Amino acid sequence: MKRLLLPLFAISSLLLTAAGTYGSARPRYGGTVRVLIHDKVASLDPLSDEDHPATRDRMAALTFETLTAVDAQGRLRPNLALSWHADQTKRVWQFRLRLVNFQDGTVLTAADVAASLSKSNPAWKCSAPDRQTVAIEAPGPIQHMAELIALPRYAIVKRETGDSGSAILIGTGSYKLSQWQPGERFQFTANEDYWGGRPFADNIEFQMGASLRDQLMDRQLGPYAATELSVDQIRTVEQNNQTVVTSRPSDLLALVFLQPETGGKPGKKPVDARIRTALGLAINKAAISNVLFQRRGAPASGLLPQWLTGYEFMLGSAMNLERAKELRADAAAYVVISPIALAYDFSDPLAKLVAERIAVDAREAGIIVQPYGESHINSKTARSSINADAVLLRLPLQSVDPASALSARIDDLGLFQESTSAILGAARPEDLFDIERKLLESNRVLPVAHVPQALWLNSNVHNWQQLVNGTWQLDQLWVEGAR
Amino acid sequence: MSLKAKLLLLVTLSITVSVGAVAWLIETRAHEAFRHVEEERTATLVNQFRREFEHEGVEITRGVGAIAGSDATLRSVTELANGAEYANYVNQAATDAAAQRLDFMDLIAPDGAIISSAHWPARFGYKQRWFLDHLAPLPQQTFLRHVETPQGSVLAMLCLRTVHVHDLNFYLIGGRKLDAVVQSLSPPEGLRVAIFSAPEQGTGEMIGPAKETFADTKVASLVQKVLEQHGDASTTVDLGPEQEEVVHAISLPGFTDRIPAVLLVGNSLEQELLLEKRIRNISLIIAGLGVFIGVVVSGIVAARFTRPVKALAQAATEIGQGNWNVHVEASGEDEIGKLALAFNQMTEELMGQRERLVQSERVAAWRELARRLAHELKNPLFPLQITVENLLRARQNSPQEFDEVFQESTTTLLAEIANLKTIIGRFSDFSRMPTPQLQAVDLNDLVRNIVQLFQGQLNREPARIRPELQLGAVPAVSADPVLLRRVVENLVLNAIDAMAKGGTLTFRTFAVDRFAVFELSDTGAGLTPEECDRLFTPYYTTKQHGTGLGLAIVQSVVSDHKGSISVTSKKDVGTTFHVELPLFQGAATIESGNGRTGSGAIGS
Repeated sequence: MKRLLLPLFAISSLLLTAAGTYGSARPRYGGTVRVLIHDKVASLDPLSDEDHPATRDRMAALTFETLTAVDAQGRLRPNLALSWHADQTKRVWQFRLRLVNFQDGTVLTAADVAASLSKSNPAWKCSAPDRQTVAIEAPGPIQHMAELIALPRYAIVKRETGDSGSAILIGTGSYKLSQWQPGERFQFTANEDYWGGRPFADNIEFQMGASLRDQLMDRQLGPYAATELSVDQIRTVEQNNQTVVTSRPSDLLALVFLQPETGGKPGKKPVDARIRTALGLAINKAAISNVLFQRRGAPASGLLPQWLTGYEFMLGSAMNLERAKELRADAAAYVVISPIALAYDFSDPLAKLVAERIAVDAREAGIIVQPYGESHINSKTARSSINADAVLLRLPLQSVDPASALSARIDDLGLFQESTSAILGAARPEDLFDIERKLLESNRVLPVAHVPQALWLNSNVHNWQQLVNGTWQLDQLWVEGAR
Repeated sequence: MSLKAKLLLLVTLSITVSVGAVAWLIETRAHEAFRHVEEERTATLVNQFRREFEHEGVEITRGVGAIAGSDATLRSVTELANGAEYANYVNQAATDAAAQRLDFMDLIAPDGAIISSAHWPARFGYKQRWFLDHLAPLPQQTFLRHVETPQGSVLAMLCLRTVHVHDLNFYLIGGRKLDAVVQSLSPPEGLRVAIFSAPEQGTGEMIGPAKETFADTKVASLVQKVLEQHGDASTTVDLGPEQEEVVHAISLPGFTDRIPAVLLVGNSLEQELLLEKRIRNISLIIAGLGVFIGVVVSGIVAARFTRPVKALAQAATEIGQGNWNVHVEASGEDEIGKLALAFNQMTEELMGQRERLVQSERVAAWRELARRLAHELKNPLFPLQITVENLLRARQNSPQEFDEVFQESTTTLLAEIANLKTIIGRFSDFSRMPTPQLQAVDLNDLVRNIVQLFQGQLNREPARIRPELQLGAVPAVSADPVLLRRVVENLVLNAIDAMAKGGTLTFRTFAVDRFAVFELSDTGAGLTPEECDRLFTPYYTTKQHGTGLGLAIVQSVVSDHKGSISVTSKKDVGTTFHVELPLFQGAATIESGNGRTGSGAIGS
């Protein structure tokens, strides 16, 4: 008997251990996921002019869905649309809709989608040939319409007016907004009737506005599931054997010269073209990427990163201080060279460092750059009223499709709008390269670096999916110890 | 200026000068005392600054030394020496600086490249070789130097330490802003302190709580002087009305021979100026009171002394005006009293002498008159005597011729008696000059009549006299026509007598202000100045048979007409009589040349 009991005990112990291990790895329903983010967002409306649209889009993606989507591997997949096709001119596209309900219980119809897309892009003629089919007629050919409408701005939103006259936005996403305090806190609750199945976590709560340093401290002390990290904090967190999720260098840090005709303050005297070129040659992008971004970033010479396009290395030129000095001297012979006021995001310490480094480098070329912090430089509306000659912008990579991404970047920059149709009509990478090269020739945008998104994750959080461009997919997110 | 005024002025000046001298003395002493206190206060503050500077230096040295000696730094430097990437240490300086409360911290590679900078993190990679190029051994103590920051050049107290690993020297340069030292100073009231920071490039700036108040061109030049001469200096700055300040500039040595900063200590002179003002005000009040009292007292004293002097001066003035009957009251036995007595004696003596002089003049006049009378009467009496003696002799010696002689003698006697009557008449006329009956008289008309009257005498050959009339526009004069005619005739007769060989007699009339002028010029022998002086004296004559009363009567008549007469003469050229007569009130100008008078104006 004793001889039988020992093997039975050993077998049962193994089974119990295996069961426990399986139980901890299996998704569980319930729980609240608390996330700390740096930026303050006031509205989830994908079309609102926010200071931090990328952060807004990350949260809004929980509620508002697009017709198509890009998965963690960067592959296009159906979302609200089951299938799509275009005519031969690539100008008219039709999307077959999935049978889906809005979060208020009403059925998503082609008319709702057409209304939403028309608002997102007034240039498009959107119609509903039948209840489940949406037709989009663009002014020109769009080669990558399916990728384009995966951008957050084309999220399907049903807009209604409440009793008090306020706008009510209704989506089809896996989570619905349950509580919000603009600029401070958003809480999303699981959509029980989500067409893809109920998400695991009951609630996802975003706490906004904390500084990155404070966030790091709160992560160590508080019950947060995830926290945004600044690039320079990655090394410290990693050294403590914490989990850090990093995207590819996707965000573009660029110096953009403001001009009255391109969104700058009216009456502002533009910076001389030679000085712009000289400044571009004086900036030590390698030092910025290697030191300030701790080799996590990549020196930028194009609007899109090398890993996305494959042609970035052919754009721009290397640092050349002597040439910069020559150009500066040449300009000084014809115009009075005033100091360049460079505005950076007041709430971003890294942006301040980069701006100061640009000033240091510029000084070596004899150009005076005066960095200063501004509160709303990411908002196109606010940008038109600031006094700066140039701004240091950090632009998110909204798509992994080069054409869509370039189109979105141009839209975010508020420059080169006339090139949008050419970009969307570009069928080959060479076409995009030519377009981008021409855009950069004027040196009105000086790419500085491509910067990754970084996120610290608590060890009890599972299935937090961060795409290569830094966007989140939280449908499958679950936390241990929920119930 | 009167004696009294002089005395008052003297007293006022004396009091003012005395008070001013005393005030100046007090002010000078107060000024010296204040300067002494000011120097002590400045020295105290400078010593306080030096203590704070040293204390801060010790703190910085300790902080930088602690960083240099820490295990973390040693580990980092070792890793760097072993080839670790600089990028991994880009934030290290900021962390170390924060731990040691340092404003500045640079971690520098052996080649001078900045690995990490706390105050300017973006400056990594740039070379900083100023201390490597310094030939002297690196200082162990803190020193002043300007540090480059994104905001510009900042004056700092720095400490430099070397970390030696694997035969490589890494450097730590840490420090704090100097203005913290200035801020920590607590200058007493009236003292201000600031530091002028003089970077190697660009313009300097003031540091410290009182930096705004040192914005003055004199302070700027003082600072410049200190920077150039490497010494201390002082100046006085005018900060406005009754606000001055002594500013001391003390050079603060730096890492090299160049002066990086100047300590400025401003010591307000407000209290001193207030005291000086108070002294001045009190002096002015004392001087004012002194002057007032002095004026009153000296006025009384001066009045006492000057009253008899004034009486003497008044008496002397009256004597000068001809009033000899003046007596001055002798007020006492002093010098003024004696002077009054002497004055009285003098006037009495003068009066006696005057009486005697008048008496003697009167006797002389009588003698002159007697002489004249004797002389005048003697001439006709002698023919009378001869004639009577001839009659007597003719009766006795030749009675047959007596009738003829008698006839001749009686004729002679009558002639001489008539001559005597004429002489007596002249004297009688002189003694009884009639009062003029004034009326409007046409002077030009009168002159023309007289010229016409004397035409025969003037044309007498061989001494022919040519009359020349230069008659201007002359209004009617106020005169007695008979007496005026006598004046002109007298003058014409005199002129004819003067021109025994003939000549030109010029009649000239014109008007000056309220007078009509008549001038008569001859071309006779002329007169000497002495003769001119005595010409109008009664009984004086230059002629053989003149009575010497003609011109005296002329002067008397002119004087009775409220006119004047004068004579100018030049020997062998001629004589001119100048007669001024008042115009008749309301008279109109009488046309010259046609002999007509303004009919409506004369006598109206």
